[in-house]
Amino acid sequence: MTVPAESSGDLPEAAVRRFAEGAFTSGLTVPDFAACLQMGLEPVGFTQGYCVMQWQWYGMSPMGGGFGYQWGGVRGYSETFNCPHGFVSQEHRSWGQNYEQSWLEDAWTSGFTTAYDRMLDEAEAAGAHGIVGVVDTSAPLADMGVVEFRVQGTAVRVIDGPPPLDGRPWSTYLAGQRLAKLVEAGFAPVSIAATVASVGVWANCVTQYQTEGSASMYRTGNPGEEIIQTVKAQTVARRLATERIRSQLGPDSLHGASLSTTRRELGEGDSAVECILRGNRVRRFKDFDPMPAPRPTVRLL
Amino acid sequence: MTGPEPLGDDPGPDTSDLRADMRAAATALAGRPGPAAGRTTSDLSIDEELVLHSIGWEPVELVSGTSMHSVPVGVWNWGQGEIGYASAAYARSFAGAVQRLHQECTHAGGHGVVGVHVEWAVERHHVDVTLVGTAVRPVGATGVGADPVFVSDLSGRDFALLHTSGWAPLGLAAGASFVYAPRRSVGATMKQSGQNVELTNFTEAMYAAREAAMERMQTAALDLGGTGVVEVKVTEGPMEFARHAVGFTAYGTVVRLRADEHRHLGARMVLPLDDAVVGFDAAALRGS
Repeated sequence: MTVPAESSGDLPEAAVRRFAEGAFTSGLTVPDFAACLQMGLEPVGFTQGYCVMQWQWYGMSPMGGGFGYQWGGVRGYSETFNCPHGFVSQEHRSWGQNYEQSWLEDAWTSGFTTAYDRMLDEAEAAGAHGIVGVVDTSAPLADMGVVEFRVQGTAVRVIDGPPPLDGRPWSTYLAGQRLAKLVEAGFAPVSIAATVASVGVWANCVTQYQTEGSASMYRTGNPGEEIIQTVKAQTVARRLATERIRSQLGPDSLHGASLSTTRRELGEGDSAVECILRGNRVRRFKDFDPMPAPRPTVRLL
Repeated sequence: MTGPEPLGDDPGPDTSDLRADMRAAATALAGRPGPAAGRTTSDLSIDEELVLHSIGWEPVELVSGTSMHSVPVGVWNWGQGEIGYASAAYARSFAGAVQRLHQECTHAGGHGVVGVHVEWAVERHHVDVTLVGTAVRPVGATGVGADPVFVSDLSGRDFALLHTSGWAPLGLAAGASFVYAPRRSVGATMKQSGQNVELTNFTEAMYAAREAAMERMQTAALDLGGTGVVEVKVTEGPMEFARHAVGFTAYGTVVRLRADEHRHLGARMVLPLDDAVVGFDAAALRGS
């Protein structure tokens, strides 16, 4: 295989040499490998992209100058929840706020996108048309607050197929028979898609008492009520993630998505909601063939 | 009753040309995208999507609903009978999450939600329920359906199976009950000390929780107009943060016979001759 000189970019020299050596590498299982060959995809190489990010939950506050909640720099969603009691005391949280933690979203997006772009660079340099069986993970590295983003996949070339638009390879989390079925069903894999939304909850008095079960006389009107502020934060985080991914899709669809939400309690009713949405961006290139109703079978083994 | 009838003609050998399809896909990716047409988001697998299509349904939008209710302080402590606040918080959180899922589904133009992932947690001071699934509709349908929006935690495959055999999912039914295991009297404690005997206070508390929760789920199913609940998931046991309180939770998908009678699937027996195929699995890369 020859490496196009103009596309080697800032690829590590070792990677350029590795791709030029001839033997292909692949992260596919044997059945997935077989399915790829069956659908006319020839593996080019196992491509990878990495990015190590410093990770701070609390941004530098432009207002206070030190570490703390980044009130001044909040971008996007924020909503204030006032105390309904009309009561002022040092122990009483007279207001609360939900705020989008845009600095975290930016860090995540930057880490993920950089790693993804580096993988695409490798694949492009190797003359691949697409990347199948993408795996993306992130893990703490070295010290606290250091996260490595990893995106890996097997670069492939479509036998007798045209190169992708602008030479940038397409990508998908799918491989093997699942990819074959997707293509057979009339979907072309455009790219993997992933996004994050993070919303912080700075609890007001009501949320604090509802979450922590304080016995204060100022808890709420009716015990057992819905914890509105936290529910709102969760709903907004999911909505932001789905809206963001839709804005990435253009005219395409999102297939095989996974929407995972984690909520970390930070004490006194405060929490952080993080929502990660990933999936395969796919484009319809032919109509769904009307499929016959499947015939039910019972396995004897 | 009609006998087993095949669901379709035997399609025979696969005649599709996968390579040509792949080349057509690559050609589509080599050009600029066309205008948006029927953009969807879904967390269904391609198998689920295909099987839904085979019965005339399609995914529309990824939807979710969440609700969280407070449990007042002190209710898990010693007491007698049911911990009403906790049971109510579970019921309200489930109902709230379902209601929001309904709203999102209707807004997206879906007729129902399938493959709902149910995440729930009972904590000392709050009960959380989150539902995430894919809104679906009959292929090409516009506007709201004639029937109320349904919600089901069954997979696309199970939905298709139910549909084919003449049944329809109606909604999720849930029930929970949390009950104190009453303190034993001093006399009973001393008498039972060092003995291998039944602790009737715990047995009775578990029974009470089970009966109340199952009854609530059943009532919810009847309220939806269902004839039964399938794929019921239950949890039972003492609460982690209050060992003298026991809880029982149950939820499942309510179903009703839609056709005149149950239709037999007429499944054909097959003897696979191939080895099990390993599907693509992200973990495979890391050797686990």
